[in-house]
Amino acid sequence: MNKALMKAVKEYLVLLLVLGLVLITAVIEPKFITSGNMTNIMRQFGPLIMVAMGMTFVIIGGYIDLSVAGIMSLVAVVTLSLIDPIGQVGAIFVGLLIGAAAGFLNSLVITRSGAMTQAEGLFISYGMSVLYGGTALLYTGGVTNHLSYIESNYSLFTLIGSGTVGIFSVSFIIFLFLLLILYIFQNFTYTGRAICLTGGNKTAANLTGINVNRTIIIIWTISGFMAGVSSIVLFSRVTTASPVLGKGFELNAILAVVVGGTSLKGGKGSVARTVLGAMLVILLSNSMNLLGVTVYMQNVMKGLLLILAIWLDNLKGRR
Amino acid sequence: MKKSIFVVFLIMFMVFSAFGAGTSEQAGPPTVAFSPGDMANPSQAFAAKMFQKYGPDYGLNVIILDGKGDAQVQAQTVTNAIAQGVKAIYVNPNDVNAIIPSLQQAKQAGLIVGMFSSDVPAASASVRNFFVGVNDLMAGETAAEAFKAAFPNGAKVIEIGGQAGHDAQIKRHDGFNKGIAGSNITVLEYQATQQWATEQAMAIAEDMITKYGEEIDGIFCHWDNGVTGVANAVEAAHLSKDLFIVGVDGNMAGFQQVRDGIQDVTVMQNFEAQAKKTLELTKTILDGGTVDAINFVPLDVVTLKNIDTFTPPEW
Repeated sequence: MNKALMKAVKEYLVLLLVLGLVLITAVIEPKFITSGNMTNIMRQFGPLIMVAMGMTFVIIGGYIDLSVAGIMSLVAVVTLSLIDPIGQVGAIFVGLLIGAAAGFLNSLVITRSGAMTQAEGLFISYGMSVLYGGTALLYTGGVTNHLSYIESNYSLFTLIGSGTVGIFSVSFIIFLFLLLILYIFQNFTYTGRAICLTGGNKTAANLTGINVNRTIIIIWTISGFMAGVSSIVLFSRVTTASPVLGKGFELNAILAVVVGGTSLKGGKGSVARTVLGAMLVILLSNSMNLLGVTVYMQNVMKGLLLILAIWLDNLKGRR
Repeated sequence: MKKSIFVVFLIMFMVFSAFGAGTSEQAGPPTVAFSPGDMANPSQAFAAKMFQKYGPDYGLNVIILDGKGDAQVQAQTVTNAIAQGVKAIYVNPNDVNAIIPSLQQAKQAGLIVGMFSSDVPAASASVRNFFVGVNDLMAGETAAEAFKAAFPNGAKVIEIGGQAGHDAQIKRHDGFNKGIAGSNITVLEYQATQQWATEQAMAIAEDMITKYGEEIDGIFCHWDNGVTGVANAVEAAHLSKDLFIVGVDGNMAGFQQVRDGIQDVTVMQNFEAQAKKTLELTKTILDGGTVDAINFVPLDVVTLKNIDTFTPPEW
């Protein structure tokens, strides 16, 4: 009985933490459960969850992607600058293409250099992040651009950033759509399952006939593409494209993925559970702001949460 | 084969080092270095641009050594500047305490040391020749004055701080508190951000509006690009009254927001004037003159009424 209970606690700890956090905050600050705050949370949720969903595949595949911050910055500044010359639809298309291309480039560097370990991938992705971030700074000369400076029609960005359909924000609907696609991809396709096997043991995956390099290319390209989507949603929301827009997103995304239960060792995890992890990260910030907790303490809590998640993952591994 | 390549590289390195060491002694204008805290910060990138633009006017060649947002990296830029034989180094510090040992080395090596935008603590003032910048305490106080003028009968405000722990964030917060002390302006809540990031200012503004709603009369945000996020949050909340919003920087976004009526006041720090003042002081010292240790460049209060009297900023 005790064993079963412990197992359940370990398995659903994140969900329990989310519920506990909701209850405590709602008791202390009743405005937490108002519809206005739920809309806030939905809006704040969008950019993080998108980059975290992409990150999930990279982590399942046995790597960690630090380049998402640089990709987000680059996509934001280029997309905004293209609205006037090629129109908003074209700018979004190019922005998404840059995100996917950057992820693809990461994968090429990794596969061609033979970086098969997580540490190698981590440092390569950090280098690529600096490269993309630096390119964004070069492109803009360090200047932050605003949607309000654009002369052409940018209604699509306004719709993405602040539009609603019924009670749902447009960014939330985009998230649901992408979640559905990625969930089906992970659970009902050969490649989705190949990612788990590759992350678990690349040599064994190769021996079973899985094209490991192809799998690596796919996971990094998905992550780059999702960072691109996240960037467009984020700068549409804040109406500002700064060359350092994505700073800090990589760590929050990793936190969301790991807290959601995806193993840092690779090989197992779920994009659906990452949603729970991202929800906890956003709820943590939201509830602590409402409770008047300082940003220093918020950082302490995030750090503790990450350590707890990794610890639990290791405990599960020992079973 | 590998050994011979190594020897060739070693010889090349020694030759370049030998020639490099003599660079500062060669003819041409004296070289000075500016070490911004982080070139990724638009205001510091703009300041670097101003140094390079106005350096030749004062007979100086300016090089930029990026602190990359890291106290250790920035300390290294100072020692690199010493090695390059520059005549002066100006530092906009990431950490005013961590930079002191390297500045001490620079001073001992005979460089002119200037603090830009943020000063070292008073106890360590001997490590630099001068400080040029705005007084961030005064920026906070100026913001407080704007609230007192707009709300003579009192108001409830939210304060959204810049990057937690950053020198400017601390001083603007302290200055604001000092400015409203004894008045009937009440801070409902203060929350700093993790970085100077628009989306973080926006998220805090959304959360504060959820918590306090119509109670809020105004918002003081420590930087103009943060005000962009704050304004978006206010607009989305559809409050029944206009909030009085004050920011600091006086950058392009701040100017546009004041013109659009989104932001009521931007407290402007003029980086062009600060860069010129720094170069002027260096020239004076190089020519054998003496300069004041503390040089505050005045802050400008920009509102819709007087905005056309200012040169629009480029950053």
